[in-house]
Amino acid sequence: MEVRPALAVLPAEILEAIFLQLDYYSVVQASQACKHIRNITAHAPVIWRHLCLTNFNYWDPHRHIQDKIAAPLSNTDWRELFIERYQIDKDTRHCLDRVINTPHGRLQLISDVANYGYDAKGLLLREWNCPDDAGDVLARRFYAHVMLQRIQREEALRIWMHVGSGNDVPLEKVLFAFDLFTRVGDDVDLDVFTSKLDNLAKLMVAYHPNFHDLSTRQKASALAMFLHERGFNGAPDDAYRNLRNSFIGLALESEDHHALPLIHVAIYCAVASRLGLDARPCGYIYHVYCIVYAPENHTLDGAYKPNSDGLDSMYLNPFGSGDEVERSELERTLRDAGIPSEDHGVYLSAAPVCEMALRTSRNILNAVRTFRHHADGRHHDAWASVVPDVDAAVYAAVWAFVMVSGRSQARLASMEMWQRYLPRLLESFQTYFPWDITLLEKYLLPYLGSHPGAVRLAHFMQDLMTTDAQPKTPHRRGPESSRVSFKVGQLFKHARYGYEGVVTGWDPACDAGEEWISHMQVDELPNGRNQSFYHILACDKSVRYVAEENIRPVPPETQPSKAICMLAGRHFKRWDPEARMFVSNVRHEYPDD
Amino acid sequence: MAANAQPTDAQPKITLVSSDNQKILVDRDIAERSVLLKHMIQDFGGETPDQDIPIHNVNEVVLKKVIEWCEHHRADPPATAEDDSDNRKKSTDIEEWDQKFMQVDQEMLFEIILAANYLDIKPLLDVGCKTVANMIKGKSPDEIRKTFNITNDFTPEEEDQIRRENEWAEDR
Repeated sequence: MEVRPALAVLPAEILEAIFLQLDYYSVVQASQACKHIRNITAHAPVIWRHLCLTNFNYWDPHRHIQDKIAAPLSNTDWRELFIERYQIDKDTRHCLDRVINTPHGRLQLISDVANYGYDAKGLLLREWNCPDDAGDVLARRFYAHVMLQRIQREEALRIWMHVGSGNDVPLEKVLFAFDLFTRVGDDVDLDVFTSKLDNLAKLMVAYHPNFHDLSTRQKASALAMFLHERGFNGAPDDAYRNLRNSFIGLALESEDHHALPLIHVAIYCAVASRLGLDARPCGYIYHVYCIVYAPENHTLDGAYKPNSDGLDSMYLNPFGSGDEVERSELERTLRDAGIPSEDHGVYLSAAPVCEMALRTSRNILNAVRTFRHHADGRHHDAWASVVPDVDAAVYAAVWAFVMVSGRSQARLASMEMWQRYLPRLLESFQTYFPWDITLLEKYLLPYLGSHPGAVRLAHFMQDLMTTDAQPKTPHRRGPESSRVSFKVGQLFKHARYGYEGVVTGWDPACDAGEEWISHMQVDELPNGRNQSFYHILACDKSVRYVAEENIRPVPPETQPSKAICMLAGRHFKRWDPEARMFVSNVRHEYPDD
Repeated sequence: MAANAQPTDAQPKITLVSSDNQKILVDRDIAERSVLLKHMIQDFGGETPDQDIPIHNVNEVVLKKVIEWCEHHRADPPATAEDDSDNRKKSTDIEEWDQKFMQVDQEMLFEIILAANYLDIKPLLDVGCKTVANMIKGKSPDEIRKTFNITNDFTPEEEDQIRRENEWAEDR
């Protein structure tokens, strides 16, 4: 009897082709229909590998996903891997929901998610991009961002630590760690960054088909000209001190490619190494040049010449013209600056990668100082339009300093470390990034050894964890608080200073210590200390304590600024345009507001 | 004109013979949408063969349907052999004409898929597989059985085990 065609009797390869078109849920459902379909779907490596690769864009490095893809199909249990990744997504979403909805135990939950590393990145990026009309849009984006940053920061710290321990790491990777540390997004990814550099090298060859026949000197100039023509030619004077100029990822992806000399040199060296050219940064005074070396026993012009006294080399200035620079010219400038000739070697030889990283740290701190100097007293929310975030940049710079310095005793004992960098690191951590507590535990404490400061820090962190794990005491509204006029979520302008802020908590009377009260001259206020006081979040990122008489609710049609919306997620779910209030996410503390 | 299987005069023509012994005259470029036929024609040294080409596995009704699809898609750019190496962007979107074309009873649908597979017409096979995939999507095992007239051949013990194995996917 002829078999009539039906789904269950189709050849296996056709069934497989059908199931490759389905989502995982439909595959699981279909596999339960009958034995034949189950045999084809339940453990078919082709189908589950396909589902793994289409459902998950990011994989933690420990999974070696590229090796798995290259290896024979049957080496990996792709279904098991899919289920494992599926559970991680589910748990990550669960942790994020709990962080949003529960005010205590956040540090632990954030650290739990961070332990998934890049396995959690895809889901967190989706949550960070949640639709504008999500009921808890501000809180969801805020905490997804916190978790993404925590994960990427760990990646950056590992790179810096690797350099600090004396390992060979490409300069561009060490510099890109500053991007990883301060920004999130689909494109803030080491693989994406690396492939952009690869593409530049490919373009260069396509542009110069005979490139590999040129002499070293000609290659060096051709590459300098190529990059120059593609817009990698510095930064105008008025934008020279912009913070973003120290971030190699931003320099590469922005349209104008503005960056400091150090970054341009790093890009030049990275592309050069992909083209087989040996180019390294030269840490000159107030500038960074590039040194290009000829292959061993050859001159830059390609002639054979045994060289016992080092490689033949030339200087280039990729920032600006891209032209070759004579060594004598560089020496003259050093002499003019009063640097004795026996010290010239340091400024004229190739600089180690760690020196370039430390220099970038200093450049970032200088850029932030310039920004603050100019922004001071003018716009409270100027920070909101600067990329990357100013405070994250400072935090990155000080972390990089500590990590890249390595465990060298001299450096750790140095005054610079204990007076300049460590206090700033702890201040940034405490003010803006308390969620990074496990990073301090894992990466900072071991560096500090048995220093008394380390012991104090360990205690302090222990206290933070304990406090965070405890439920908050609720402030109920009762007869005593009847005169507290404003609710949590009220948007206002400060009557005297004019900044925008939002109420995050209140006390029926000033609850600060005597010292603060007298320092702030609270008793000089018309209504004195015995009026309601509010904990508020200001649009300049500060947290303040404000008397009721200084709270001026905004007029009805006012929308909250971008800056305040970026900050509000820590305490609020969303902006309610009808009620003209932020919707509270601190109801555990203020249940009646 | 293009929609029915009438060949035009300008093109060299080939006679196909279906499994139920019916002769069908088609333009050579339409026949060559089938990689199997293309290779067979090449075996004739590139000349348009004047003898009949038997298609053993496909009957007249199905073959005419397949030719109708090839006629409509005669101007499509040829699919490259390794086109499907990156499956990431595969979707179950089907263009409107193909959707209408695939509105046939299930038996015919599977016949077309089998014929596309045998004749090696990859884009048609894809459309067929997508059509079936869309019929499975979002259905429970029981609904899938009903849709495709499948008998549940699991023992209660097996069903239990399968349910446990798939618990992870249930609590979404």
